[in-house]
Amino acid sequence: MSRVVHYVNQFFAGLGGENAASTPPGVKPGAVGPGKKLQELLGAGHEIVATVYCGDDLAAVSPEALATVLDLVAQQRPDIVVAGPASTSGRYGVACARVAAGAVRAGVPAIASMHPDNPGLDDAGAAIVVASGASVREMGASLERLAAAARKRLAGEALTEADGRIGKVPRKNVLVDRNAAGRGVDLLLARVGGRDAPAEVPVPKFDHVTPAPPVADLSKAVIALVTESGLVPVGNPDRLESARATRWLRYPIAGKPTAPAGEYASVHGGYSTVWANQDPNRLLPLDVARELEREGAIGTLHGEYLVTTGNGTTVPNARRFGVEWAAELRRAGISAAILTAT
Amino acid sequence: MEGTTLRLVQHHVTAGEFGSATLYRAGTLTVSEADARRALASPALASTRVSWASPGDSARIVKVLDVVQPRTKGVGGRGIFPGILGAATPQGRGETHVLQGVAVVAAGYLPRAQEAVIDMSGPGQPLSPFGATHNLVVEFTPADGASWEAVDAAVRVGVLRLAALLAEAALDARPNEVQTLRGAPFPKASNLPRIGAITNLQTQGTFKDVFVHGKSFGAAPPTLFDPNEVHDGAVVSGQFGHPALKNPTYMHQTHPVVAELRRRDGRDLEFAGLILAPEPVEAEQKERVALQAAELCVAAGFDGAVVTKEGGGNADADISLKIDALADRGIGAVGLFAEMAGAEGTAPSLVVPPERGTALISTGNYDEVVRLPAVERALGGATVDVAGAAATADLELPTAVIYCSLSPLGAGYLTCREVA
Repeated sequence: MSRVVHYVNQFFAGLGGENAASTPPGVKPGAVGPGKKLQELLGAGHEIVATVYCGDDLAAVSPEALATVLDLVAQQRPDIVVAGPASTSGRYGVACARVAAGAVRAGVPAIASMHPDNPGLDDAGAAIVVASGASVREMGASLERLAAAARKRLAGEALTEADGRIGKVPRKNVLVDRNAAGRGVDLLLARVGGRDAPAEVPVPKFDHVTPAPPVADLSKAVIALVTESGLVPVGNPDRLESARATRWLRYPIAGKPTAPAGEYASVHGGYSTVWANQDPNRLLPLDVARELEREGAIGTLHGEYLVTTGNGTTVPNARRFGVEWAAELRRAGISAAILTAT
Repeated sequence: MEGTTLRLVQHHVTAGEFGSATLYRAGTLTVSEADARRALASPALASTRVSWASPGDSARIVKVLDVVQPRTKGVGGRGIFPGILGAATPQGRGETHVLQGVAVVAAGYLPRAQEAVIDMSGPGQPLSPFGATHNLVVEFTPADGASWEAVDAAVRVGVLRLAALLAEAALDARPNEVQTLRGAPFPKASNLPRIGAITNLQTQGTFKDVFVHGKSFGAAPPTLFDPNEVHDGAVVSGQFGHPALKNPTYMHQTHPVVAELRRRDGRDLEFAGLILAPEPVEAEQKERVALQAAELCVAAGFDGAVVTKEGGGNADADISLKIDALADRGIGAVGLFAEMAGAEGTAPSLVVPPERGTALISTGNYDEVVRLPAVERALGGATVDVAGAAATADLELPTAVIYCSLSPLGAGYLTCREVA
């Protein structure tokens, strides 16, 4: 008998709609709500031993709530975790994706179910996501697909598009018997000879960001300095990474006329920092920003600068930094930022 | 037109040991520690130590800087590593003795070097090409008052001198194999597709630089270069960023792409030559170099090029811009890329993909985490800095930290596959 744990939001746990969106994480024994139909579809040999739930508002934004959900899931010693279907519901989709991703990180197979347009799709990490319908009207078909996927996964079989799999399929390192130089020449000869041979790397498509309109009156603007140059106080007190950064930091510059050598240094591992460390203003243009402030060309300079290391950073982390910076700067009432890149 | 040739006289090394004299006999390389110390001596170094780390040993080398294959053209080097040990005159002709299966590995702290690890046994061993070589590891203590730049230069020169000295021990030995390699020029001689190599060198300033004939290649334009010269050590690495994505001197000496093109020359392709190109830091310069390299390919009659890089994200642009520039000139290209797909392998793989080419080879995902069990001894340092752990400890590290594991010159056997 395989042990299945089902994750749902407050609504499908029967605790209420938007008014209950802050419901803390909890657990109910056995199948609840759509889980009852799911249990039927899973059939004998698979038992939904518990339903773990959390309110959408908490699950999508609170790391603590997510950790509690994952604890509750783990306590059930599941063979598999299924989450959703979340349809096109954004917060619920994000929660399902993160619960599934967390389970996989803990070594438990997991499948989330949501519509291909659900923003949660990007948060599923190495977990499997199968498509659901766009709304609860398609719940029956969505549950059928989720149950079939769960059975297949429990049988150790791979899930593909034919099973309704959507989202990123994790890419894993494997050792092969020809070196990359040999494989490269094979591929090149095929292409030069007009034969269609498969490439080994999918070409990513990046989104294009539309820049914000120019600041109308710079003399009244509050300007922030933001940089991916890895410039930190000497000694790197908060241990910013030199590559593959997972976080960003902030340091006060209020009242400082310049960024002197010996006080700041870059920990960036992606470029030669010799010249930058001789004059850290080359990375963090504090000296000229202060001049502009004195001249009245800009209003005031924000009291701290934000910094990370842009070196081998994954796109999801870089995107997260961008979102967090934007939120942080808006909260602080900043009208524009100068982002120095290296 | 009669080209030059280079005879590579290969001697296989199957064991390394220390002894009172430096000798090569029946596959065993015996090294005198006193000889090694003399080769490594420099006013910038207070002391040096050499140790062996061989395949299967419960040993880890950390803080790996450069790796060099022992080669010499005769007693005292006779022009090997031109511009550093010998005069900066063209080499790549005559005879060069090579010790196969052995490497001189410089390991120790330099301020801008990123942590780099080689495991000689366990799951990490097959990930680095240098898990399979008998490694003579050079450790060093800087002299009081020596600048880091001077220490870097002293280690580089010392290790090259030691590599030449070791090969000298085999000058009179009967070789296991002799290869005769054709040098430039490479005129059209058949109807086979003419394929060449474009090798980008990460030339981005002190501690991130590559030397050609002893000088930084940073300000040089893309250059059609006799591949026989690289076999004689004309390209030397001083680049200590991105350990998984670097091309140590050893990889230039043995150039995997050139080796593959030579192997197939006259069979399914015609080897058309080698172009060295700098990897500048400014975007405009990257574009300029890409266009110049494409023009050189046209002039040299390439039908296709294998384009390689060194380093992380920005170096993707150096490949991608060249693939696009070559496409504009009607020349096919394949790029060897490492993927930066995140620890779970679900993030976009490349930072700057080409716009007009899709022939991309994967040398593996930089971010995938590997577990390296504890080892009995470590060389190169007492700690693994990125992990904040003892150098001998049980470690979980991204593949990015394993030296040459994603070899941008194509030496490695890793790739990435979707695991459904």
